[in-house]
Amino acid sequence: MATVVVGAGLSGLAAALRLAEAGERVTLLTKGIGGLPLSAGTVDVLGYAGDERVTRPYEALVTLAAAAPDHPYALLGRDAVEAAVAWLQAQVPELLAGQPGVNVTLPTAVGALRPTCLYPPSMAAGADLAGKAVAIVGPRQLKDFYPALCAANLARTPGGPAAAVGHSLDLPARPGEADASGLAYARSLDDPECRARFVAAVAAVVGDAEVVGLPAVLGYKDLNAWRAIQEGLGKPVFEITLIPPSVPGLRLNDALTALAKAAGVRIVLGSKVTGYTAEGGKVTSVTLHQAGHNQPWPADHVVYAPGGFESGALRVDSYGHVKETLFDLPVAAMGSGTVATERVLRATATGPDTMAPEGSAATGPDTTPAPAQPLLTGDFWQDQALFKLGVRVDAALRPIDESGRPVFTNLYATGSLLAGAIRWSEKSGEGIALGSAWAAAEVILGR
Amino acid sequence: MFEPTSHEANLLARASVDQCVKCTICETQCPVMAVTPLFAGPKFVGPQAERFRHGESVDHTLDYCSSCGTCTLVCPQGVKIAELNSVARAAMKRDHMPPRDRLISRTTLMGQAMRPIAPLANAALRAAPVRVLAEKIAGIHRDAAMPVSSGQPFHAWWAKHQPAPTAGPAGTVIFFHGCAGDYFEVATSIQAVEVLERLGFNVLVPKQGCCGMALQSNGLYDTARAWVRRLVADLEKAPQDLVIVSTAGSCQGMLKHEAREIMGVEDESLQAIGTRTRDICEFLLEKIEAGQLNFGVKRLDVTVTYHAPCQLKGQGMGQPAVELLRLIPGVTVVESGATCCGIAGTYGFKKEKYEIAKAVGQPLFDKVKEVNPKLALCDTETCRWQIRQHTGAQVEHPIYLLHKALGLS
Repeated sequence: MATVVVGAGLSGLAAALRLAEAGERVTLLTKGIGGLPLSAGTVDVLGYAGDERVTRPYEALVTLAAAAPDHPYALLGRDAVEAAVAWLQAQVPELLAGQPGVNVTLPTAVGALRPTCLYPPSMAAGADLAGKAVAIVGPRQLKDFYPALCAANLARTPGGPAAAVGHSLDLPARPGEADASGLAYARSLDDPECRARFVAAVAAVVGDAEVVGLPAVLGYKDLNAWRAIQEGLGKPVFEITLIPPSVPGLRLNDALTALAKAAGVRIVLGSKVTGYTAEGGKVTSVTLHQAGHNQPWPADHVVYAPGGFESGALRVDSYGHVKETLFDLPVAAMGSGTVATERVLRATATGPDTMAPEGSAATGPDTTPAPAQPLLTGDFWQDQALFKLGVRVDAALRPIDESGRPVFTNLYATGSLLAGAIRWSEKSGEGIALGSAWAAAEVILGR
Repeated sequence: MFEPTSHEANLLARASVDQCVKCTICETQCPVMAVTPLFAGPKFVGPQAERFRHGESVDHTLDYCSSCGTCTLVCPQGVKIAELNSVARAAMKRDHMPPRDRLISRTTLMGQAMRPIAPLANAALRAAPVRVLAEKIAGIHRDAAMPVSSGQPFHAWWAKHQPAPTAGPAGTVIFFHGCAGDYFEVATSIQAVEVLERLGFNVLVPKQGCCGMALQSNGLYDTARAWVRRLVADLEKAPQDLVIVSTAGSCQGMLKHEAREIMGVEDESLQAIGTRTRDICEFLLEKIEAGQLNFGVKRLDVTVTYHAPCQLKGQGMGQPAVELLRLIPGVTVVESGATCCGIAGTYGFKKEKYEIAKAVGQPLFDKVKEVNPKLALCDTETCRWQIRQHTGAQVEHPIYLLHKALGLS
């Protein structure tokens, strides 16, 4: 049997790797590199339930599923998510530490504390700062990292360190480079000589701090570079994730891509899937828009993991109309136990704080009474319905239409495409990506 | 009307600028940025600078872009970063094109000039004083890999060639060898014909000129456009329902998409030719996977590094050579894992870029030396020259191994 996976984010890579290691013939098609290099390199399962910070994500996931039956976690269940997260950790133990059922909080680049579940070992010391004296240190020539800002915010964050002081170093990544990305630093810190200079400069400013927070640039290919730096300083260090390019995300992306290739996944990078053929309710091939011609890639199963709005797989136009762009799958939103179709949301979106243009409420005969909710509201922290939009699936992860029937019997949607979750405020993105990839693979493998 | 190389004329690539979300994925993969701070990076000189150009060149570090195309390849949003940068550089160099760049971009000229005096020309290009002079006068780095002219061009071999008795039952294909395949990498072209014939294909080789790739990468668009149109006309003389099979890994990309996407050649004939063009490994693999070829190969016990060149990767078809060679029992193909060999067409020949090109290719050279220092595989000509130069290994087109496995050598 041949499976085609579309998309190379965490969900696509995980599905491809899982299937290939079970003996499936897998081809992964992707327009570009997936979203992992933009991620923190951590695995969030569930960070917040409403306003409450979650400490035991699996237990909270069960509670959430009971209260929100349209949430992807209600469909996936605790077992699939737990199995998937444990499986991923076993694949890359050098990149993911932590106890799967327990959240920690890690400092961000602006000095907030962010809950997550698994994290690089190089970040572990950042999970345990309460009551300690912390130094935050970074080079002045590194883009978008301000040690003083990070330290000042950390010091006033509940649950944060007893004291935190920021220090900026004068230390270009390469001679003459005034404004370098984290990756330029990470590459230079792969080199023992540069590392020694870095350690000396950091050691000169940290004084008697007990723990040292450094930007997440402590080596790229050399996964032990941070340990060498820690040893050199003689005190615990922790990495702090920066804005993209994210070195911890790149490390994870590289590792998973290499594992997928080693397991026999054929990766086709650089072309977009622009169409498909179907017969008898099954997708028979997807069409890849290669240079010069369109190439059909036959498939027995298709795992569709293209991402959501960020990647363009879901698109919202200026009238508030939302579309899934490849298969034109029905786009649905979830809320209070009922399914509201995308057009209903569009029709009810009104008022100055919404993104739908004035007057659009009156358009067309589609308007049916339904939960009135604007797509976006002016208050960032409010429930933003737009981000709950997505594709609704059955228990086998197959996208379904409004009557609940699968659109195709061998098409499985995973990851950010799934409706019902606001990943960035719940901190549930990786858990959903992994759990859905795992569940789709189980169905394909007939388990 | 706009100037043909103007930014306004380059609407196709420009239309993609707003797709850029500044995610920096292109920067993480740019092989030049990784080794030198002299290049501000594809995002900075591309989608960002493009908004400020209005006909003016706003960032001159652009000259250090090698045009490898990796940025476009990895962009998840479909921004034509490399294409934008190529056009912007052509505009930047327009009024002060170095004579060197005009010279080294004429592959056929070099081939034709060197051929009658091949031993002499080859010796001259190896001689240190000649190379020092070339560096001083023309800016071609003294250590850069130079092509080795083969005494007999492919077209002379072809003129005397009798089809193998196995040719025919699988159908007829057109073979496109490119000009380096005519003058410098002649063995590859011969191997390709012999492999195709052994696998049952009848092979046609229409007279064919240069695709203009090197001119294009040096910003000499007007001549490059004329050349690619001439090549299209050449290839059109063969029956127009046949697949065009190619061993010229980058030139086939010129036909498939680059002439249109970089130089804006809107031409139905070009598009028709591009649609019929296939990389030789892509073509054979598709036939084998569809069960349309009897693929009887013998065992070859060899472990070899395969490097997929940038311009082959840019065709977005994966790495068909890897899949194809893995069908040969005993062959272990190790992917180079390297982004680029550094040469990027003619980039690595240039005095001021030679060291950068070498640093770009270093991980690849190390890999070749580690896996099999005697033999490595790569689909494009100048990349093979670069890898040979820096590893001392024999570097061949992937078809070389298939030729052996079919008992043809």
